[in-house]
Amino acid sequence: MLRKKTCVAMLLAGGQGSRLGILTKKVAKPAVPYGGKYRIIDFPLSNCTNSGIDTVGVLTQYQPLELNAYIGSGAPWDLDITNGGVFVLPPYQKGKSGEWYRGTANAIYQNIAFIEQYNPDYVLILSGDHIYKMDYNAMLNYHIRHGADATIAVREVPWEEAPRFGIMNTDSDDRIVEFEEKPKNPKSNKASMGVYIFTWSKLRHYLEEDEADKKSSNDFGKNIIPNMLNDKQVIVAYSFNGYWKDVGTIESLWEANMDLLETPMPIDMHDKRWRIFAKNPGMAPHYIAKGATVKDSLITEGCEVYGNVSHSVLFAGVIIEEGAKVESSVIMPGSIIRRGAVVRRAIVAENAIVGPGAFVGEETGNIAVIGTGITLPAGVSIPAGQQVDEEYTF
Amino acid sequence: MKDVMGLIYTGENDARLRELTVTRAIAAMPVAGRYRVIDFLVSSMVNGGMKNIGVITQKNYHSLMDHLGSGKEWDLHGKNNGLHILPPFLTRENVGLYPGLLDALRSNNNFLIRSKQETLVLSNSNIIYNAHLDELVQYYRDTNADITLLYTKDPSMKRDEYGTYLSIDKSGNVTDMEVLPTHPGYDNVFMEVLVIKRELLRDLVDKAVSHGLHSMDKDIILRLVQDKSAKINAYEYKGKCWQIDSVQSYFKFNMDILDPEMRKGLFRDELPVFTKVRDEMPACYGDNATVINSLVADGCQIDGIVENSILFRGVKIAPDAHVKNCIIMQDGQVHEGAYIENCILDKQAVIKRNARLIGPDAYPIVIGKDVVI
Repeated sequence: MLRKKTCVAMLLAGGQGSRLGILTKKVAKPAVPYGGKYRIIDFPLSNCTNSGIDTVGVLTQYQPLELNAYIGSGAPWDLDITNGGVFVLPPYQKGKSGEWYRGTANAIYQNIAFIEQYNPDYVLILSGDHIYKMDYNAMLNYHIRHGADATIAVREVPWEEAPRFGIMNTDSDDRIVEFEEKPKNPKSNKASMGVYIFTWSKLRHYLEEDEADKKSSNDFGKNIIPNMLNDKQVIVAYSFNGYWKDVGTIESLWEANMDLLETPMPIDMHDKRWRIFAKNPGMAPHYIAKGATVKDSLITEGCEVYGNVSHSVLFAGVIIEEGAKVESSVIMPGSIIRRGAVVRRAIVAENAIVGPGAFVGEETGNIAVIGTGITLPAGVSIPAGQQVDEEYTF
Repeated sequence: MKDVMGLIYTGENDARLRELTVTRAIAAMPVAGRYRVIDFLVSSMVNGGMKNIGVITQKNYHSLMDHLGSGKEWDLHGKNNGLHILPPFLTRENVGLYPGLLDALRSNNNFLIRSKQETLVLSNSNIIYNAHLDELVQYYRDTNADITLLYTKDPSMKRDEYGTYLSIDKSGNVTDMEVLPTHPGYDNVFMEVLVIKRELLRDLVDKAVSHGLHSMDKDIILRLVQDKSAKINAYEYKGKCWQIDSVQSYFKFNMDILDPEMRKGLFRDELPVFTKVRDEMPACYGDNATVINSLVADGCQIDGIVENSILFRGVKIAPDAHVKNCIIMQDGQVHEGAYIENCILDKQAVIKRNARLIGPDAYPIVIGKDVVI
C-alpha cells in the first residue's frame, strides 16, 4: 500500500519533436541537450523537485532508450525515494489488447492505474518541451484557492504571435470562458503553456468520457479542455511571467542556448534556491590553454580549449583544437573541433568530429547542424541551414 | 573484483599545511578545481571493484563526513556494503586520538570483524594517485603473497627524512626497508597502500598493539621483512602520484595538473574520479575575460584576467581583476581592479577592490576560509 500524495505529476515525454530534424532522429525531444550540461527534461523534473512534488510519471514512447538511461533511478533530482520518485511509463500490453499512446489524454488515460496508486487530490500535467523555471506548488495553491476543476498556466505572448498558440479567453476573475486553438483573430494574448493542474476526480471522469468517444483525438487541448468548458466546469488561468522558451525547432533551440549568454541572463541559472539538477558526467574542470581565447561563452567540465571560442555554449568533454574557431555555436557533449576548423551559427550534436580546416555554417542565415557521431572530413564546407547526418554525401 | 574491501586512514600529520587544515583533514583538502583528496582514493577503490569501504577519521572530520555523505556519488550506498565513516571513540585504552595507524586499526577491530571480504586494501590519504587497484590485488593473489606493497619510482616522491623506501629483488620480493631515513638509500617509494588478508591484518595489529607498538611500517612490515617470516612483495604503480603534506606540495600538485600530460596521467577515461555534485551551471565567460593556462570549474563567472590558476566551483573574477598562479577555492571572489599572485584562497575568501597581494614563488600566501581582504 502506497501512501497518499496530494499531487502527482505526469510528464508527457513521448513526442518525437520532428521539427528538431536530425537532432531527434535517435533520441526523444526531452533528452535533447541544452545549456552546456542539461537536457530539456531537467527543467520540468527540477521544477517538480523544487516545488515539493516528489512523484513523477514520465510517459515515453518515441526512442526511449537514451531518455530511460538518463532518468535512471532519478537520483540527480532527488527522486530516488521509497514512497514516490520518478517512474518511466511506456505503453504496455493489457490483456489481449495493447496499444501505443494515441494522444496526450490517452497517454494519461492508459496510466490511470499508476495515478490511483497514490490516491492523489490533484494531477499536474507537464511536457518536456520547454525551458523555464516555475513553482508548481504556487500554481497548485492558486488552483485550490480558486476551487477550480482545472488550472491552465498561461503567459502573455506578443499579439502578432497569438495566432500560433492555444489562446485562453478569460473573464475578470481569470476564469477561462473560451479556448481557441490557433485563432485567426485572437481575442486575448494569453497562450497556454501546456502546464495543467486538474482535480483528479474530475480529470478521471473526463478521461473516461473522452476514451468512450471514438471520434475524439484524445488530446488535452482539442478535447478534454473544450469538453470541460462546455460542461461549465471551473477552469482558471494562472499567469506566469518568467522566462519560457519553446525549444521545438533548430532555430529556437539555438536561440534558447544563446539566451544564456545575455547579460543579465534572462533565466537565472545561478539561483541556489532553485537549482536545475542534471545527471553529472563526472569529469575534471575544463582547461583553457595558453593561446586560447574564450569570450562571452558557457563552458563546462571536461572541455579542453586550445582555439578560439566566442558567443558559444560548450558541453562536457568538448575539445577545441589549436587554431579552430567557434562562434555563436552550440557544441554538444564529446565533440571535437579539429585544428583550423571554423564553426559559425551551428549546432554540433554529440560525439561529432569536425575535421581539420572544415567550415560549418555561415555568419548569417539558418543554423547548420552536424548530427550525432558524424565525422566531417578535413576541409569540407557545410553551408548555413544544412543538416548533416549519415545520409549526407560530401 | 569481489571479495576485496577498502580501508582508508585519514589521520596523517598536517602541521605544514597551515591554515588549510585547521578545519579539515588532509583527505578533505579541496584539490584540482572540484575534488577532495579522498575522491581519488575512494574512486580508485570503487573502480577496482570494492563495494565495502571504511574511512577511519581522526580530527576535524566534519568536512569529510559532509563531503562523503552516504557515499551515493561513488555508488557506495548499498545494503550490505557501502561506505562506512569510522570516527574515533573513547575506549578504555583509547582517549580518542590515535598515536598511530595501528591504534586506529585496533579501535576499528569491530568493523574489520563485521566485514565479509577476505582481502583488504589499506591506503593512507595524503598521496594522490589513480591506480588500477584490481591489478594490484590480482598480483597479490597470483604471487601468493602475505602482504603486497604498492610503490612508485617517481623521483619527486623521494625526499629526505620522509617516507618508507623499499629494496626489491628480481622476483618482486621486498628484501629491505628504510623507514624515515635521513637520506633514502633506495629509489622505490612505498605509497602507503598495501594488500593483506583481513584476518592476518587483525592478527598482526593485535599482537603489535599489545606490545605497545604504533607504526605499521616500522613495527609490522619492517619486522616481517627482517625476520623473513612472511612473503612481502611489491607492485609498481607507474602513473603519476603526489604527496600532499605541506602548502608547497599542495600548491605544486595543483600547478602540475595544469599540464595536459600530467592531467592525462591522473584523469584516465577508464578510471573516472567521482565527487560530490553541486549542480552549478557551466562557467560563464564575459566579453572581457582573458584566461590562460587555467582549470575552471562549473559555476564560475569570469570577467577579468586569469593566468596559470585553478578556479573551484562558484568563483567570481570581476572585470579588471587579475589572478596569476593562484588557487581559488569554492565561492571565492576577486573584485574589480584587484591583483593577486601566488595565493591560495580558501573557501569563500574575498579579495576586495584594488587590493594587491603577491606571494613569493616558492611560498604561496594562504588566505583562510571566509577571510575578507
